[in-house]
Amino acid sequence: MDQSLTKNEFIGHEEHAPEAKRSWLFTRPDHKTGIVSWLTTVDHKRIGFLYGISALFFFLVGGAEALMIRLQLAVPNNDFISAQTYNEMFTMHATTMIFLAVMPLSAAFFNYIMPLQIGARDVAFPRLNGFAYWLFLAGAIVLNVGFFVKSGLPDMGWFGYAPLTSTAFSSEFAGDMSTDMWIMGLQILGVSSVIGSLNFIVTIINMRAPGLTMMRLPVFTWMTLFTAFLIILSFPAITIALVEVMMDRNFGTLFFEVSGGGLPILWQHLFWVFGHPEVYILILPAMGIISEILPCFSRKPLFGYPIVVFSGAVIGLLGFGVWSHHMFTTGMGTVATAAFTLATMAIAVPTGVKIFNWIGTLWQGHLMMRTPMMFALGFVWMFMMGGFSGIMHSAAPADAQQQDSYFVVAHFHYVLIGGSIFALLAGIHYWFPLMFGRKVSEFWGKLSFWVIFAGFNITFFPLHFVGLNGMPRRTFTYDGNMGWNSINMIATIGAFILGIGIAVYFVVMVYTYYKGEKTKRDPWDGRTLEWSIPNPPPHHNFDVTPQIHARDAYWYEKHHKAEIEAEKAKQAADDEVHGGIHMPSNSWFPVITASGMLIGSLFFCNHNFIGAIGGLVIVFFGAWMWSVEGPGGYHLHPTKEGSDDTDAQH
Amino acid sequence: MSSSVSSDQPKRRLWHMLLVALIPVVGGGWLSGPQSTFDTKGPVAESQLDVFYVTLWVTVAIFAVVGAVLAYATLKFKARNEADEHAEPPPQGHGNPLIELSLIVVSILALVIIAVPTLKAIWYTYEVPEELKEDTYEVTAIGYQWWFKFQYDSEMVAQPFGGEAPLVTANELVIPAGRPVKVNLRTVDVIHSFWVPKLAGKVDMMPNRGNHLWMMADEPGYFWGQCAEYCGESHAVMRFRVIALAEDEFNAWLENQKAPARTVVSSEGAQISTTFTDYGTFEVNQPGWTSEFIEDPLGSWNALQAPHGDEDPALIAAGRQAFIENRCAGCHTVRGHDGIGNIGPDLTRIGSRSTIAAGLLENSPKNLYRWITEPDRVKPGNFMAHTRIVTPPGMITMPGYTVRDPATGDRNPTDGDIEITPEEGHALVAYLHSLK
Repeated sequence: MDQSLTKNEFIGHEEHAPEAKRSWLFTRPDHKTGIVSWLTTVDHKRIGFLYGISALFFFLVGGAEALMIRLQLAVPNNDFISAQTYNEMFTMHATTMIFLAVMPLSAAFFNYIMPLQIGARDVAFPRLNGFAYWLFLAGAIVLNVGFFVKSGLPDMGWFGYAPLTSTAFSSEFAGDMSTDMWIMGLQILGVSSVIGSLNFIVTIINMRAPGLTMMRLPVFTWMTLFTAFLIILSFPAITIALVEVMMDRNFGTLFFEVSGGGLPILWQHLFWVFGHPEVYILILPAMGIISEILPCFSRKPLFGYPIVVFSGAVIGLLGFGVWSHHMFTTGMGTVATAAFTLATMAIAVPTGVKIFNWIGTLWQGHLMMRTPMMFALGFVWMFMMGGFSGIMHSAAPADAQQQDSYFVVAHFHYVLIGGSIFALLAGIHYWFPLMFGRKVSEFWGKLSFWVIFAGFNITFFPLHFVGLNGMPRRTFTYDGNMGWNSINMIATIGAFILGIGIAVYFVVMVYTYYKGEKTKRDPWDGRTLEWSIPNPPPHHNFDVTPQIHARDAYWYEKHHKAEIEAEKAKQAADDEVHGGIHMPSNSWFPVITASGMLIGSLFFCNHNFIGAIGGLVIVFFGAWMWSVEGPGGYHLHPTKEGSDDTDAQH
Repeated sequence: MSSSVSSDQPKRRLWHMLLVALIPVVGGGWLSGPQSTFDTKGPVAESQLDVFYVTLWVTVAIFAVVGAVLAYATLKFKARNEADEHAEPPPQGHGNPLIELSLIVVSILALVIIAVPTLKAIWYTYEVPEELKEDTYEVTAIGYQWWFKFQYDSEMVAQPFGGEAPLVTANELVIPAGRPVKVNLRTVDVIHSFWVPKLAGKVDMMPNRGNHLWMMADEPGYFWGQCAEYCGESHAVMRFRVIALAEDEFNAWLENQKAPARTVVSSEGAQISTTFTDYGTFEVNQPGWTSEFIEDPLGSWNALQAPHGDEDPALIAAGRQAFIENRCAGCHTVRGHDGIGNIGPDLTRIGSRSTIAAGLLENSPKNLYRWITEPDRVKPGNFMAHTRIVTPPGMITMPGYTVRDPATGDRNPTDGDIEITPEEGHALVAYLHSLK
């Protein structure tokens, strides 16, 4: 680009208020570095990074809780931790892993990768994106406050079955607020997820690069879209249920209060109408990541792209019609049980289709056995096993023996660790060179994979047997005569091997971040658009808005260089005529508004309603300021050398 | 306990042999515990196991095929070296609709194989089959935090203040073998779940909802069961037993249960024994069961039905006194003696039960002593008034509490503490064990 191509005066000034009239209060910050730049950031890559770091922190917290559980169960009649502590640990392990680790880690990839895959420079609503992250952090804090206060952590299970959540059964002493913190924390997380999802949906629908038709979208972006729809459709159910139980506890309503004729079964229906789609919220992003990695490292396109996409949609849709398979033992009667059994079996078909297509992708490829590929293949194997045990308890009569036993624990850990976590760990390896310009050593990457793989299977495969041998889950102890001793000891040893594997993984990641081998652009010979930009990506992502001509956009670009060059030059000229690349300014108000939610809900948990109203005042102040602080924004003029020539414009 | 699946069906035996071949751990006892879902002893559990085997073999077959293809593809198409990786990319094919469609059809067919027996079993396990209905024995199981009450609705017994009510017992459900038993499932507080793996899969006890299940024990036996829905602090130790007896033994047992509590005749003037067994402290990791009991649980249970020889009437009388003085009678009933309380288990025949603390511990003097002197250490958070040991030097005084205040959920640390001296504890054990 020529330096003489300057901003066109014709466009850009008129619709913005003149700079001089704005006081400092209404001026949006533009810090590029330092703590303020992070607190006020609206850059999707930085927000994605924040999501990722927070999620990995809580992943380690949840892992530590899991190790406490396994230590307690290592031998029969153990008293390593008390019953109360054990119940808090399994409640928080599940809540943390689902809401504070896997979901935000997926959100990290949605944020970081999805806009790059569709050739966008940011998401549709950058400030809202920051707000979603700060709300997530607020919810995470509320959920974990119990570590530091007398009430302790919530102890009624991540499923919070009524009436265990009522004041009569959940309060150890007067003023016990652990259940309130769980309720408020989940509500804030729900708001965060819905806001984030709406943002992703609008972004994917509206901000695709020219030529990127829906059927050319990378599969990961498709799965982002489906997951976002699942979130906005399923979270209202749990929000309603949480509001009801909150009213029961604080304002004397009787939704679930048995003595007042309330129906605890209602909670289960509301919870699982959310809870089952939630399972797909956890696994669809993983499937998306796998559908990116397998083609890349097989050096051929995804086998049966339309069917993989369509099966994702079918899984999402059917996911709303199978919730009662979590309730086969609640006495639903024969017809309802049969209907949910058949619906659950039906969902195995689109899931199986994905596996067939992944294998088809490998077929006749040139498989490059790099660390991301190892994790991805590990995913396919482990997810298959989890899927098969899932079919076993779709059969309601068999499930009557398996429900709430360790068989179910084994099943969903195969799906959530062998599935979601393996895929997310694969994704970190895969996109690490893009995000940080460095590559993890193959030796250490593969070593961590094999330790994690072995530890995971040693832990969870034997648990199938102990479950079929009648060991119920959520039990802090068991007796020595039940035939469960050796399996529990093996599982505990396996859990520590898994823990060591995870530790190796993270130490290697941190080392690589500082000292790893630097890589060029596109180290894996990638196929999708995110690999077309330098690493780490510049603030504005794409110097020139890309034009899409085929499904694997970057692969096509690499094989049609001359055509693309000409196109890019023309597009660059067009961009300059429009005043360069428009970038959003930072903003204080997402974090301020979210802090109001944090303060208000902490007061509410303490039944201090004045303080809760104070928090809401901060929320309204933040939202009001947000809407009047002005549009901000500035233009960038990327030069040929790659350095940015910033042209601020408030 | 036999480690093999007993069944007359050759089909089942074949499956089991295959399972043994596939998974060597079966021989090692991984699937043969007291709550094994493989060692079925009744038609309901058996039909559930049959469905499980169908799902198991269909999925194992699919896994074998798909896994073999996946393994072959991985090994066959793996790049051998750097040059291989950077060779000309393979053909950029996008898939083959014909293969896809045929795989979908095959998947659906495999699911039909599972669905048909599944649907049959859903109906079979839900209600007692028509041809067995007349012979059905009906009981009601009621879940409490954290124990089970069993109510024999057709067996009426006289109540302390007149009138009649169904016979109740706790934590050990005695049923007739060879007859279908319909269990009505109720709860007084939170959700519990009734699960005796060898007889039937679980069904939940839902508040404000009437659930039921049916089961049948083919032979007399002693079966372990456990609450299978998380129900609060002591969920893990909310256990119970089902004891199936031959028809005549069952009727004899019923007759004995319906009678008022047994009174050991007190010899006038006898002194209360002041020497008592020192039960010592309780070790961590100590099993709740003696190996003799585990060897032959049904025989051990039978042995408990008759009074043992060396009873001390004076000690028993002192125990009965202590039972009243320490307000045990406020929550527990000993029909014919004292107590009208029904928020704790009925103790009219506590001496004939093989377990205490909801199936947690063998009903030995040592265990019972521990349970009535420091219940919170046996079963965390339980609602029995937390009693406190006094005097013996060196012994730690446990913080006491009574019941929770339902309005605030508060535990009052001082109000209504019950203090049981070691002597009283000893007498209470003698008294309770005399109630056969």
